[in-house]
Amino acid sequence: MAPSALLSGSKYSDSLAVVGISICTAIICEAISWLLIYRTTSYKTLRSSIDRAAKKLETMKTTSDAQKFTKKSKTKKMDRVETSLKESSRDLSLFKFKSGAVVALVLFAVFGLLNSLFEGKSVAKLPFVPISIVMKMSHRGLNGNDPTDCSMAFLYFLCSISIRTNLQKFLGFSPPRGAAGAGLFPMPDPKTN
Amino acid sequence: MKEGKSVKSNGQQHHHDQNGHLSPFKFAKLLDPEASWDKDQLGDVLHWIRQAVALVCGLLWGSIPLVGGIWIILFLLISSGIIYGYYAIILKIDEEDFGGHGALLQEGLFASITLFLLAWILVYSLVHF
Repeated sequence: MAPSALLSGSKYSDSLAVVGISICTAIICEAISWLLIYRTTSYKTLRSSIDRAAKKLETMKTTSDAQKFTKKSKTKKMDRVETSLKESSRDLSLFKFKSGAVVALVLFAVFGLLNSLFEGKSVAKLPFVPISIVMKMSHRGLNGNDPTDCSMAFLYFLCSISIRTNLQKFLGFSPPRGAAGAGLFPMPDPKTN
Repeated sequence: MKEGKSVKSNGQQHHHDQNGHLSPFKFAKLLDPEASWDKDQLGDVLHWIRQAVALVCGLLWGSIPLVGGIWIILFLLISSGIIYGYYAIILKIDEEDFGGHGALLQEGLFASITLFLLAWILVYSLVHF
């Protein structure tokens, strides 16, 4: 049996539709972000100033560690660079926030479309029993008590995070590492959500 | 004192390839313990290694299939072990120069977890039902 026939005959072939729509949405969102944010001079300037400040701060910290003492002037200079870095990060966030509203509308519309298409329908089967917090999303809107039934919302969430994060990384649109809020679990750039 | 890798600026790391293709130099650097790494470059490499491990594990475990939450824990251990082995043993990186073990191990972690779950769930659902 051909792979395509096998997949289309699968009970959960709707999951492919969810993934396909997620991929298209991710591409459209990044295209919009590029148009409104990434290609602008303001963004490029802010980005490069954050990268420069982060690298400068890193160098200064390494130097003061190596010297085993901190001069008062060095600490003051580090504070100034750190303040400048925080201000640039804040400006970058604000800048992206204004333009991110359009992308947010697109995502909202797509989620609404998917919801209308797959409401109450299990689009995949989980190979594990999720914990209760996860099950609130994975079993959202589904009938029955089978905890391994997977709703569109959970699958869409997984698609969004994995596809968009990696797409942003691949295209070089990820937030700079020096910016505040990178955190333990870096999400796709939230200002373009 | 542990032999560490110096952190150099991006400007010193560029390899000029007129054809624009990935040169053997770049691939050789991935396995070269003598190479110098920039923080961003190393972070990117670790990110993509995590994603590759996530995809392979997800596809494999969905195909067999492996069922149960324990395999999520095992995936985390395996992928973190691979990342740690890569930067500590193959590259012989001094983690202090790159923000410590935490910073290196968390590169691409969340995206890899979601990618792993996505691949695992999709393959399991499509192949076995």
